[in-house]
Amino acid sequence: MKVSLKWLKEYVALPDDVKALCDRLDLTGTGVEAVEKTGAAFDKIVTGRIAEKAAHPDSDHLWVTKVDVGEANLGEDGTPQPLQIVCGAQNFDAGDHVAVALVGAVLPGGAQIKKSKLRGVTSCGMNCSERELGLGAEHDGIMILPAGAPVGLPFADYMQMGDVVLDLEITPNRPDCLSMVGMAREIGALYNEDVTWPSHELVEVGEAASDYVTVEVGEAARCPRYTARVIKGATVGPSPDWLAERVTAAGARPINNVVDVTNYILFLFGQPLHAFDFDSLKSPDGKAHIVVRPAEEGERFTTLDGEERSLKGDMTVIATPERAVALAGVMGGQDSEVTEATTTILLEAATFSPAHTSRTSRNLGLISESSMRYERGVDDNPIGFNTDFAAALLAEVSGGEVCSGIVDVWPVKTEPVNLLFHLERFNAMVGADIPREFVCETLARLGCEVGEALGEPESAGEPGRGLHGKQAEVLRVVAPTFRPDLEREIDLFEEVLRIYGMDRVEPTLPGGRGRIGVRSVFEQALATVHASLRASGLNETMTYSFAEPGELGRLRMAADEMGCAVELINPINADQSVMRQSIIPGLLKSVAYNQSHGVKNIQLYEVGAVFFGAEGKKQPKEKQKVAGLFAGAMGEVGWNTQPAGFDFFDGKGALENLMRELAVPRLRFKALESAEAPHLQPGRAAALWSGGSLLGWVGELHPLALEAFDAVAPVVAFELDLAALVKAARPARDYIDIPVFPAVTMDVALVVDEDVTHERLLQCMVGAGGSLLEQVSLFDVYRDEQRVGQGKKSMAYALVYRAADRTLTSAEADKAHERIINKVKGATGAEVRGS
Amino acid sequence: MAVREEIDALKAEIQGVLGKTESTQILERLKAEVLAVISKEENQQAILTLRTEIFNAITGSKTLQDLDQVRVRTLGKLGILTAYLGSIGSLPQGERAFVGKTANEMRVAVEAALEARKAELSAFEMAARIDASAVDVTLPGRAQQMGTRHLISRITDEVAEIFLGIGYSVAQGPEVETDYYNFEALNAPPDHPSRGLADTFYVRDLSGAAAAVTGESDVLLRTQTSGVQVRVMEQQKPPIYVIVPGKVYRRDVADPSHLPQFTQIEGLVVDKGITFGDLKGTLDYFCKQMFGQDRKTRVRAHYFPFTEPSAEVDVSCGICQGEGCRFCKGTGWLEIMGCGMVDPNVFGYVGIDAQEYTGFAFGMGVERIACLKYNVPDLRMLVEGDMRFLRQF
Repeated sequence: MKVSLKWLKEYVALPDDVKALCDRLDLTGTGVEAVEKTGAAFDKIVTGRIAEKAAHPDSDHLWVTKVDVGEANLGEDGTPQPLQIVCGAQNFDAGDHVAVALVGAVLPGGAQIKKSKLRGVTSCGMNCSERELGLGAEHDGIMILPAGAPVGLPFADYMQMGDVVLDLEITPNRPDCLSMVGMAREIGALYNEDVTWPSHELVEVGEAASDYVTVEVGEAARCPRYTARVIKGATVGPSPDWLAERVTAAGARPINNVVDVTNYILFLFGQPLHAFDFDSLKSPDGKAHIVVRPAEEGERFTTLDGEERSLKGDMTVIATPERAVALAGVMGGQDSEVTEATTTILLEAATFSPAHTSRTSRNLGLISESSMRYERGVDDNPIGFNTDFAAALLAEVSGGEVCSGIVDVWPVKTEPVNLLFHLERFNAMVGADIPREFVCETLARLGCEVGEALGEPESAGEPGRGLHGKQAEVLRVVAPTFRPDLEREIDLFEEVLRIYGMDRVEPTLPGGRGRIGVRSVFEQALATVHASLRASGLNETMTYSFAEPGELGRLRMAADEMGCAVELINPINADQSVMRQSIIPGLLKSVAYNQSHGVKNIQLYEVGAVFFGAEGKKQPKEKQKVAGLFAGAMGEVGWNTQPAGFDFFDGKGALENLMRELAVPRLRFKALESAEAPHLQPGRAAALWSGGSLLGWVGELHPLALEAFDAVAPVVAFELDLAALVKAARPARDYIDIPVFPAVTMDVALVVDEDVTHERLLQCMVGAGGSLLEQVSLFDVYRDEQRVGQGKKSMAYALVYRAADRTLTSAEADKAHERIINKVKGATGAEVRGS
Repeated sequence: MAVREEIDALKAEIQGVLGKTESTQILERLKAEVLAVISKEENQQAILTLRTEIFNAITGSKTLQDLDQVRVRTLGKLGILTAYLGSIGSLPQGERAFVGKTANEMRVAVEAALEARKAELSAFEMAARIDASAVDVTLPGRAQQMGTRHLISRITDEVAEIFLGIGYSVAQGPEVETDYYNFEALNAPPDHPSRGLADTFYVRDLSGAAAAVTGESDVLLRTQTSGVQVRVMEQQKPPIYVIVPGKVYRRDVADPSHLPQFTQIEGLVVDKGITFGDLKGTLDYFCKQMFGQDRKTRVRAHYFPFTEPSAEVDVSCGICQGEGCRFCKGTGWLEIMGCGMVDPNVFGYVGIDAQEYTGFAFGMGVERIACLKYNVPDLRMLVEGDMRFLRQF
């Protein structure tokens, strides 16, 4: 809300220091968003007096003047020095008071005043004309001020045009502060100053308003109070300057005297008003029959802004028997607004339900100064005073007459709330010792009635005293009706603390027992996941949780088991209109982004939620996933390195590291068929299992999937389910004795068909190895049609044999080795190469 | 040999003078004596020559390989000295002791010389190897490229660690929330403007329930992590000391200073005797840990539906030290979080006795801290996944 300090000063004394005022407001809950100085256009323009006037030596129409500007120009010795100004005007004499633009001033027209020479004579400023100051058309000479005008005063101050307008952020719980008087009361409480309430003198004439208007309120809950006044014989026209100035300072555009008065009252008291053109409301009987009723579903209504809107039953309209004429609390109608032709005005002052107003405003996307106030709450009690004030002012500025009386339908009257204020409890909550006097004073300044609580045990002794002669610890507080936020004791606590100053409370740390700072098992495992993936060279990133519908299809990812996508009702963009079901598409977009920016080494991972909806379920299922990808090549070209292109095994290696760190038992990578994982390249895809539980998948993304995301192969990706992973993880690995006795290592190259996997061979070897086989490691895979055979490969393994309790003899090792080889041969048809 | 001929000539001469037998005996004895002298001298001479040869070879060898050949030639199975030592047995009885002694001494000396030279040569060779393997130390190192933590996670961790240190635990909750947990149980009035379509992302309610306002829904993307506070209070008895980090969503179009998805960390304390001073002290401690011991904090009264009293927290500007600059828009302060004492109504929703317990809550935006601490100029960089950005942290 914009608050003109010049205006506010009429109701409460303000500190001179605007910055200090702003700080105090900031700290007590009224945010100062901006401080705007009007009259800034007259910066560096001051009042002066022509001390000397002499003819210019080289000109017959120029004058060389010495102008006294008081303190505005100081000489080197610090005393005021007159300025030498060359002036071309002919309408002045020495001794005249003038407006002087100093060097550096920028005139309203944009001209900048510089020190200059006019025909060889230095000129340090300008004596201004009215037109040059933007004050009028007068340009026949300079502006001559009255003889008594002070010298050296900022021109804006002299003209009383200087104002400071604060743009205040009023929190939604303080509807009372959306008004000048409300802010005056707030500042009065802050500085312990009295507030001068504005007053008016209403003169009513003969005819009664009720002869003109009837009012009927359909649903009291929607409209607690509706009043109408009638002003006759008004002339609609421009507002007087003071009114236009006030309305402008508050941020509105002056329209005409009638609308400006309604806005003025809105800004002054926070009471929205609406002025109808009475004639356009008249029924055939010559009266306006106002009905406040719910809108009909689908009812069409054209608001003041010229837009036709479709209404809902939840909205409220002000109507005549014939038609709706205003959207209650939000905006008036186009065909009943006050125009130049209006002579009789029906002035509405009412309150409408915050909830209905808020929903109406949100449903129509229509926010007005009125709706903003109604949805926060307008007090129905002072309406009589406010509408009287408004009517008096309308009569004054429009030359009309106010009909006597007020048509007032007031089905629900807001009553003040009675509260108790426990001083001890208050200080215990704050952690301070705020004196009782301060509490009472502050609450009173804020508009509460404060008294001793009666019937409280503490005050059972003499009145106002406790049993032990102490003052009662409990105050009785009546909260004013303009403060709907003061409903409970705690709300009063906040008020007193706020005004006392939160900064004055001593900072302490809670002394609570029984608090333990600990990371959950999940959090600990998650930290391991992060550390391990980073150690594998992956960089954590964060992509949007939003996704594009059909994104999974483009990725070729089978979505059937994932439930349906969670749809946003009001997305910002179509490509962010559902919630993601996989992290991979987001990461792939980052791959494309990086590749288009020339980055070749892309290693990304993300931990985050994916979302699955189900018909009939309110809240979707959220699963935490960890996904990562390797795109391009490992490392950069260096003087001593060549980047190696990523393949399946980079992904698998990262997962193997991760599984080792999490001590996941019975780990198995099982090849995925193309039907099982269409988004992956067949033959380079695997599911990751721990025993019987599926943890996720790893593989090279299918070229078609990459194409759909403008990403360039190779991209190796994985996505794991975090819950399954953490469940499979063990807190620690087991200790295994470090061997004491020497091992015997024997190599064997097995020639097998292409479809025999490493895993299968490993199973055979481990199965037949018995207790002596300690380790099997693959050290070569070799294919050669000539030497190995078509459709075959040679897999070379090193088998390590060891006994835990003795040195193994070569005979024992040979025997075990032979048994293994025979087993592998029998099970897989393997041939031993080179035998 | 001249000596021998002379002896033979002398022998003939003597035979002529003396009787054959007698002279022969004398002569033989004499011959033996003379020859013994000669043989000793010859052997001595030969050993000396050999010794000189060997020592010259040792000192003359330039490489360890050369030296080893010298060793083989002298002390090896077929080496000269070995052969010499082997031949001692065939020497006359009288010479053996002398020759044996001399030869053995020589072997000891040769072995020592070999060792010494070997040490010398090893040292040379190592020095040469070291010389040859010197590198340009200004060449780039061979880095193992470690992955990096995302800036937002890094800050989240930092904040979490500070609070773990003063006895808080970490709680998590769903990102798609119901109106109840995001608004209602947090005391937000049913028609609070923040519930508007312009601010909150609503999700299609698949349960079939209809919302009061067209276009809204009972299901939404959480606009704050506060819902988790409610869930914690439902599930756990006080004392409660938790922080809740997580993603939240607000309907802002992405631009340099807004993202529709960002990260929040909230804290909640519920215990006996918790005061507003405790809230101030806690946040003061946090800000000093997070931003530096020289930073000041201030609390400004504010309004949030779920706390009462409510406040916003500013930390003094680190660039101008509170003097006022462009960064802090001339105020000297940077707003970093909202906080307040838990509203008794919120306790009412979760069944905690507001007479027995008090508490406070606070919440901060991690992206905001990222901007304040790391000067990130455009928040969108945080969700682009640009490797050049990610690798900076």
